[in-house]
Amino acid sequence: MEIKEIESIIEGLLFTAGDTLSLQKISDILEIDKKTLKLILNNMIVNFQNSKRGVIIREINKGYQLCTRIEHYDYIKKLFEPRQKQGLSHAAFETLAIIAYNQPITRAKIEQIRGVNSDSSITRLIERNLIREAGRLDSPGKPLIYEITEEFLRCFGFRSLGDLPRLEMNEIQND
Amino acid sequence: MQSALTKACTIKIQNFEGPFDLLFHLLEKNQIDIYDIPINEITGQYMEYLFAMQELDLEVASEFLVMASTLLHIKSRMLLPDKKEAKEDEVDPREELVMRLIQYKKYKEFSKLMKEREDKWSRVFYKSPEVIQTSQDDIVLDLSYDELTRVYEELLAKNKKKKNNTTGQMAQIVRHEKVSLKSKMKEVIRALLRKGYFAFSELFSLKCKSRMEVVTGFLAILELSKLKKIRLEQKERFSEVLIHRTDTEIQEDEVEDFSAVN
Repeated sequence: MEIKEIESIIEGLLFTAGDTLSLQKISDILEIDKKTLKLILNNMIVNFQNSKRGVIIREINKGYQLCTRIEHYDYIKKLFEPRQKQGLSHAAFETLAIIAYNQPITRAKIEQIRGVNSDSSITRLIERNLIREAGRLDSPGKPLIYEITEEFLRCFGFRSLGDLPRLEMNEIQND
Repeated sequence: MQSALTKACTIKIQNFEGPFDLLFHLLEKNQIDIYDIPINEITGQYMEYLFAMQELDLEVASEFLVMASTLLHIKSRMLLPDKKEAKEDEVDPREELVMRLIQYKKYKEFSKLMKEREDKWSRVFYKSPEVIQTSQDDIVLDLSYDELTRVYEELLAKNKKKKNNTTGQMAQIVRHEKVSLKSKMKEVIRALLRKGYFAFSELFSLKCKSRMEVVTGFLAILELSKLKKIRLEQKERFSEVLIHRTDTEIQEDEVEDFSAVN
């Protein structure tokens, strides 16, 4: 099959799937090995990004998804009722950051780092599907541990956990 | 000497999210190098802050108090070096605090970055998955007239079994049982008039079929006990509770008067 044909099919698959489509699934459908597909997809991502197309391909956690362009938000939003998205509190962001960098992590450890009680933040983050319970730690009390979700990657524009910027813990700039 | 209150007016009471926030504020204000914190001074200022907040009747969250004790602990360790530790192993008591401060600051910075990213990426739209209905191949039905009648007769038979034949005979729908406290109290009195006493558990015997009855029975006992018409006795721990008549004369019709109590 020609590459152009493959790209075409992938585009159709991504459109119909809506949700993230895993590389594995694409590979199964097309019966092409994942390595080749990854190259093709990476190429497509760059092309879609650079061209004037209205949709771009996002890579999220080894899966791919189509989405609209950030720049076109003001136009597209007119299709809907105004979306009242309640923002996260400062505390919730901090908690989320700690979980993202230390996952899996217990509630107690989060509170130790923040220095304050984090119950409401954790609840809020779970409600927003940005974190989830990921089992229990094998230690006294068997506390719950938390990790981030795919929705987190989607919301913040990361491809995977590896995409998180490095936090240099050794030094800080003196403001 | 300035009172804490006066000081509070000069200190701008900000809304600190946590003890780390307050500490950073103090470090900044005093232009202190985080790697060499003058514990005495900082602890002093921190405590002043807490006192000021308390004097102004502001609620001081427990986390602030925990930090206060941590600071005091560090301060005391610096004042009184542990003679047992060898000189080489001397751990700076401030070290842990400094590390935590740095860590906290890093996460704070990162959260700001996250907020920016979230704002950016909330401006895209995704399509929800298509609901794909797999077309079912039309199954060719093998129908004959006999088959149709057979199926219909089967259906009728099934329905007949399901039907409740007593439907027409029911006079009324099961009503919510009303068990009056009064009637239960009468029952208890009646039982006591017959024999001088009975066991608590007997109350919940065959006579009481529903939860309502049991609860009302229990309430009746409590009510009668309050009115000193009955006496409750238990010979030893966890043994049967006995309900006795009291010496006051009870007549059955006296129960009518109980309605006033209700």
